[in-house]
Amino acid sequence: MDDLAYQGLIGLSQAMYLWLISAGLTIIFGVLGVLNFAHGSLFMLGAYIAYTAYGLWGLPFAAAVGLSLAVVAALGLVMERGFLRHLYALDHTYQLLLTFGFVLVLDDAVKLVWGGVFKIPPIPRFLDATLPAFGRPFPVYNLFIMAVGVLVAVGLWVVFERTWWGRMVRATAADREMAAAIGIETPRIYAGVFMLGAALAALGGALGVPVRPASPGIGVAMIVQAFVITVIGGLGNLPGAFVGSLLIGVLSAYGTLLFPVFELFFVFVIMAAVLLVRPQGLFARS
Amino acid sequence: MSNVRQVALSGVVLALAGALVALVPTASPGAPACQLGVPSLKLGVQGVASGPHADYGRQIEMGATLAIEEINAAGGILGCRLEMRFMDDENRPATGVRNARFLVTEYGAHFLYGTDSSGVAMALGPVLQELDRIQFFTHAATHRLTEELVAQRGIKQIVRVSVPVYQDAIAAHLFKDRRDVRRWATIGADYEYGYATWALFRDQMRRFRPDVEFVGAAWAPFLTLDFSAHISAVMARNPDAIIATPWAGEAVTLLRQALLQGVFDRIQVWFQAMGGSVDVLEGIREDVKENRFRGKLYATARYLHNWPNTEMNRAFVSRFARRFNRMPNYSAEVTYSAIYITKAAVEKVRSIQTDKVLEGLKGMQIETPAGVRTYRAEDHQFVYAVPAGRVVADPRYPIPIVGELKVFDPKDYYRWPPFTGLDLSK
Repeated sequence: MDDLAYQGLIGLSQAMYLWLISAGLTIIFGVLGVLNFAHGSLFMLGAYIAYTAYGLWGLPFAAAVGLSLAVVAALGLVMERGFLRHLYALDHTYQLLLTFGFVLVLDDAVKLVWGGVFKIPPIPRFLDATLPAFGRPFPVYNLFIMAVGVLVAVGLWVVFERTWWGRMVRATAADREMAAAIGIETPRIYAGVFMLGAALAALGGALGVPVRPASPGIGVAMIVQAFVITVIGGLGNLPGAFVGSLLIGVLSAYGTLLFPVFELFFVFVIMAAVLLVRPQGLFARS
Repeated sequence: MSNVRQVALSGVVLALAGALVALVPTASPGAPACQLGVPSLKLGVQGVASGPHADYGRQIEMGATLAIEEINAAGGILGCRLEMRFMDDENRPATGVRNARFLVTEYGAHFLYGTDSSGVAMALGPVLQELDRIQFFTHAATHRLTEELVAQRGIKQIVRVSVPVYQDAIAAHLFKDRRDVRRWATIGADYEYGYATWALFRDQMRRFRPDVEFVGAAWAPFLTLDFSAHISAVMARNPDAIIATPWAGEAVTLLRQALLQGVFDRIQVWFQAMGGSVDVLEGIREDVKENRFRGKLYATARYLHNWPNTEMNRAFVSRFARRFNRMPNYSAEVTYSAIYITKAAVEKVRSIQTDKVLEGLKGMQIETPAGVRTYRAEDHQFVYAVPAGRVVADPRYPIPIVGELKVFDPKDYYRWPPFTGLDLSK
């Protein structure tokens, strides 16, 4: 029983990390209607910047994470204002192609700047400890990720449900033309939402870099998982992404413990099962 | 025409002729023309050059580049200059096959080199037969490449220069006398290579230690970002030792996440099969320096830059480090050696035809930076020893090394023909 409980805790920490990496993708799709292929690349960039600031320049880890969020959010602003906004009136295919183009550019850019070998900084001291849980040492790092995941979930709920800006975002997401007609500056909303999504991608990369080396292509590994979560939750649905992350994180952890032979298929079996029952995703809007 | 004009005109003509002569390259005295009937010898090279395993493809390219530069500086192979085209196989069989076809049919490669992934290698086998080009495999480890495709199915165009997966199971020899290590588990790469390592390791360990138990396994596919669940699943079985096969960046991820779960306070041994690879040693440098693995991390590789302590190896490492500002990985050394092996075979038979080159390989024993490699004709596998040991910091090197080395005779841990089947079930 202790082993099951411990594995469940591991699953929860995995779930919260999956939530961190999928929240930004979900928000951008939910408001802008853009499936941002470059989300994984922004995650990768967040990891590299945090590695550089903390591992090479010696900044405190928190400052390195903050810098990573700021730089990637600024890049998000450039991507949205400089490129994406010209394509909103066109077919979705153009947006997909553009974000795919960003993937190619950013992947080569990191190779030019950081080279092709993966990079990993030392683990921050305050995360390098364990606490006893169910008779075994449980990493403080995993608890930290769980706490951050919950904070992000609560924070996003407060922002979107309880702030004036959040109301404007929801109005824009519901009906962009009507929102513009009643005086909401929708271009600024779009830019702000894209920056928020980019910052969340960077947060996942930056917080992950002490335990997952930054490398070209790490974004590809991440984007597959993020897409699975958003599809399960219902494209553009934040509560759905949160529940989808819990489902994938906890169930796949138990799958690894109890059915290791089927590891390769587990995530996709869960996705297939959900889509068979609810093809639009768990919490999709009607 | 006046005399002055004639003289001036003659002068201009002579000057132009002289300029033309200077511009047109002429063979310098004594330089032989290519004696193989081709303008130059073209080598097609491919490896993983993108994603978390990208360093291996890059090292393959670097090893090939160094060999080609050295051989060309010394006059080429039978007067033939070497050229290379490198392609990224993206760790995908379909891409590897497409690249091989391009390299042979479009680029005109006379020989092929490389391939990191066993999956890509197995896909290439039949294509090499169709294209009738020898590929010297320089990383892909599955035993099936040589045991099945060569020895059983007769695809003669496959030659492997790197040690196969037999090397990963050397752990059985390294730990067979450790009486405190009885319960083994694996965190395996969830594909052919991982299954083969676990199968070979268990097969060999059972022979030495009937008392050993194999208590658990967790399998992680390529691009796993989080091994926490795999580590905790395996630790739930209370193993004394773990043998792990995720490689490259995934090995570093796995080790870092294992440290966080306090694994090294609980187990006696962790054997990271390809932990002696340069990129992995670079990634765990700080953790080794701080002794976070408690002296319990062991590894091997397909070549270790710090062994053997021969003049040839020291010189190779030194030239490589000067040329590329990196230590050579095993994929670099093997590719480098593969090109020199090609040189030796082609010079012996004075031909680049497949059957003649294969004849030229028969009976070959050649000294390389990794030591003496001996060709085994039955399955086209080069045999050589690579030791295993403990990962330690050494002030003589910029990165940790595999030290306290134990060398085993390949006769003891290689599989030998006639080959029997191996159960690869998880």
